[in-house]
Amino acid sequence: MEFLNPAALFGLLALPVLLIPYLIRRKSQRMAFSSLLLFLESSEAASSKFWGRINLPPIFFLQLLLLALLIIALSEPVFSIHPTNIAVILDNSASMQALEDEKSRFTLAKERASALVSELGAGGKVDLFMTTPRLEKLHGAPLSPAEATRLIATQVPYDLAEPPVDYDNMISQLARQQKYERVYLITDHPARGQSAAARVITVGRPHANFALTALEIQRSSLANARLEALVEVANYSERDEKLKIILKGSGIELANRVIDVGKGKTTTVSFEGFADHPTYAAEIANRDALPLDNRRFAVAPGSRNLRVLGITPRPRDLESLKAIPGVQIDTVAPSEYDKAERSGYALEIYHFATPAALPANAALFILPPQSSSIVDLGAAINNVTISNWRDPHVLTRYINFNLFRPTFARPLKPQTAGDIILDSAGGPLAFATERQGVRYLTLGFDPLPYLGRDNLPMSVFTLNLLDWFFDSRGANNQATGEAIFLGKVQSGDRVILPGGKSLTITPGAAFFGGAFFQGIYQLNRGGKTELFARNLFDRGESDLQVSAPLPIGGNQNSPSASLLFSFWPYILMACIALLLLEWFLSPHMTARGRWHSPARVAQRS
Amino acid sequence: MLPNPFTPRFLSQLEALRLRTRKEFLGSHTGSYSSPRRGTSLEFADYRRYAPGDDLRYLDWGIYARTDKLYVKLFREEVDLFAYVFIDASASMGYPSRELKYLPATHVGLALSYVILANHDHVKLHLLQERSGTKATPFYRGRRRMSDCVNFAAAATPSGALQLAPALGDHLKKMRRPGKAILLSDFLMPASSYETGLNLLRAFNLDIAAIQILSRHEIDPRFPNGSLALIDSETEQEIKYKWNADARRDYQAKLAHHNAELRSFCHQGGIHYSLYVTDRDLSDFVFATLPAIGLFK
Repeated sequence: MEFLNPAALFGLLALPVLLIPYLIRRKSQRMAFSSLLLFLESSEAASSKFWGRINLPPIFFLQLLLLALLIIALSEPVFSIHPTNIAVILDNSASMQALEDEKSRFTLAKERASALVSELGAGGKVDLFMTTPRLEKLHGAPLSPAEATRLIATQVPYDLAEPPVDYDNMISQLARQQKYERVYLITDHPARGQSAAARVITVGRPHANFALTALEIQRSSLANARLEALVEVANYSERDEKLKIILKGSGIELANRVIDVGKGKTTTVSFEGFADHPTYAAEIANRDALPLDNRRFAVAPGSRNLRVLGITPRPRDLESLKAIPGVQIDTVAPSEYDKAERSGYALEIYHFATPAALPANAALFILPPQSSSIVDLGAAINNVTISNWRDPHVLTRYINFNLFRPTFARPLKPQTAGDIILDSAGGPLAFATERQGVRYLTLGFDPLPYLGRDNLPMSVFTLNLLDWFFDSRGANNQATGEAIFLGKVQSGDRVILPGGKSLTITPGAAFFGGAFFQGIYQLNRGGKTELFARNLFDRGESDLQVSAPLPIGGNQNSPSASLLFSFWPYILMACIALLLLEWFLSPHMTARGRWHSPARVAQRS
Repeated sequence: MLPNPFTPRFLSQLEALRLRTRKEFLGSHTGSYSSPRRGTSLEFADYRRYAPGDDLRYLDWGIYARTDKLYVKLFREEVDLFAYVFIDASASMGYPSRELKYLPATHVGLALSYVILANHDHVKLHLLQERSGTKATPFYRGRRRMSDCVNFAAAATPSGALQLAPALGDHLKKMRRPGKAILLSDFLMPASSYETGLNLLRAFNLDIAAIQILSRHEIDPRFPNGSLALIDSETEQEIKYKWNADARRDYQAKLAHHNAELRSFCHQGGIHYSLYVTDRDLSDFVFATLPAIGLFK
């Protein structure tokens, strides 16, 4: 026998509550009397009886039975038939790496899965699924229990967040489509409710945990070579913690700091003035339940020189940018763009020009003559006043927009998702978007030529936009699971994973999609090496105190219901019968006027 | 200021009464109670042979004429009475309230005191109370001391638990003259306790009257039916009791048995006994019941 709603059985603990009305009803009224001499004999005889003080009537035990049966009915008891064709879904998200008494949750989940599989007979059939990066079956044909056990043993958890899935619907769909008699989901989430088709097995319990939620290595600005590291630390525990944060460069400790982080709070700590290294890592020295999120990786930001390719019919305007330290600019006419070698440029500026397709490099579009996939163009306006702007934002910082007056502009009509940075009465004038990690900015006015102090608001805006593009080059905050864009791949190019495993890249592949583990990925392409950092980027995985319960049981139209025989309706009927019995057994209730029989009411009227 | 029942009419009726004693006591002054001594009252007591010096007025000339011998007549001496009124002032006398039990009890005591004072006899009031020491008045004589008696009785508030015999013993230690003892109490105590107390009074050669005072609430308790936590007013002991019509009947039977035992003990010991239920008219009790038990002449 099983219970579909076992939580209701906790109601049995409340059965003694039934005593309360009897105790209250039987609470003696205190009366003073001159002398108890004449009462003593009979009262002593009463109190010496066992249970003499409570003296429960038989109706109490009837009510107790009634209440117990009701609670059992609420817990929905069923007789189940042992299934032979099952599916096991293993949660392999990052939080499953949390330690439970020296064993990880994932290890416990594998043990539970193996136990489930071993309970099947020799003729049993098993399908194994994993939840991340997406819910997927691990094999083709159904496995025998022995094969499934072997496959389970080889699985490892990913450093990935769990995808948002409606497990209730998904499990019932699986059961319906694949004809599974039962689907087991083994996860670290608690389940709310049960259904005939789905069984959720929860491993792990809430733990205190702290995590590094961000690591950014950046230069102070385009003109400043000084490096700074920003580390964000979160404390998911019930008490304040004193944490030691270590910053490492290429595996060597560069600096450390001990900080206090309040319970449930996030704190940022910064390190400055350290040497250049190709890779950086931040670590929390303290031990906790989930070691995975105690480390975070970053690669060094790009060089302080920004190589810019300008595509313009008016090269003199673009060459004015050379006045900015660290900016190198090459210009080509729009007609020669297709012939130009564009590799090695960090930014392409299309000045009164529009490319046929979006470039692979970050790009700035200034007054594009034609509409693109990003924006459409509106009618020209003169003497523009900025009416609204994004604040705070890198592009709008330090600018006095009362003095920011482009003489000519064409409002933009965004055609894709992105941020409107500057807005005017005629329409948006600056629109930023990002596709596959590459930033694009379209301006409806011309900030060039760069005049320095002679047009200070426009010059500050120009510096801001170069900083914005400069920031994007490091790409330090890419999450695990996000693809690594490869560019032109040649035969023999390889990707080396954080664990040291080397994979050959198929020629023609646009990206590498297997970045499921946290760490530094090394791309060896054409004799050059590029580094990419990937980090777990989901606070929900790090917060081991709160785990959202999975609602299960809402979808009842699965064929597996036939495996269960529900008898709680019969218990409910027994309760009603007992209720009627109680009605007849306690006539004093009506006599006292608490309940009135219909006959008596009629008699009164 | 005399309390309510003591109207001029009631007082004048009391003045017509005289206490009756079953024993003879040695008084201090001439009074109306017989003494074991020979004296000059009108009541003949005995003869004895004439001796020179005897008053010739008491020679019985009739005997001399028949026997030719001289005999003188002897008469009883009549003396005044010393009376002690013991009032139980324990907590049980305050149930259901001081006004409904203790004050009616004092009214009985004061009525008897007035009878004594009006006959120019001596009365002394004693309060029987836990930790009160020997709280008592001096001997009062004459009607005018009635207000002192009233003040003394009315000043007390029933409280504490009472052990009858030890409390009486404390008072009796200071007693010098035998006389009449009137004990006013509810006697709601074990038989052994009141027997010891009354025997102690008898040992001091006192002529005893025991008047049991009970309130209507004690004769017929009106508790709500159901489970009760009854608290003893003196000991504060608490017991559980299931009260219903059967329990009421049982209680009344036990009370009747308890009172019968007390009455029986008093009759066997030559003690005047009467029960006064406090909702009864005082004058009816004093002028009908008390004479019937022989307390008054």
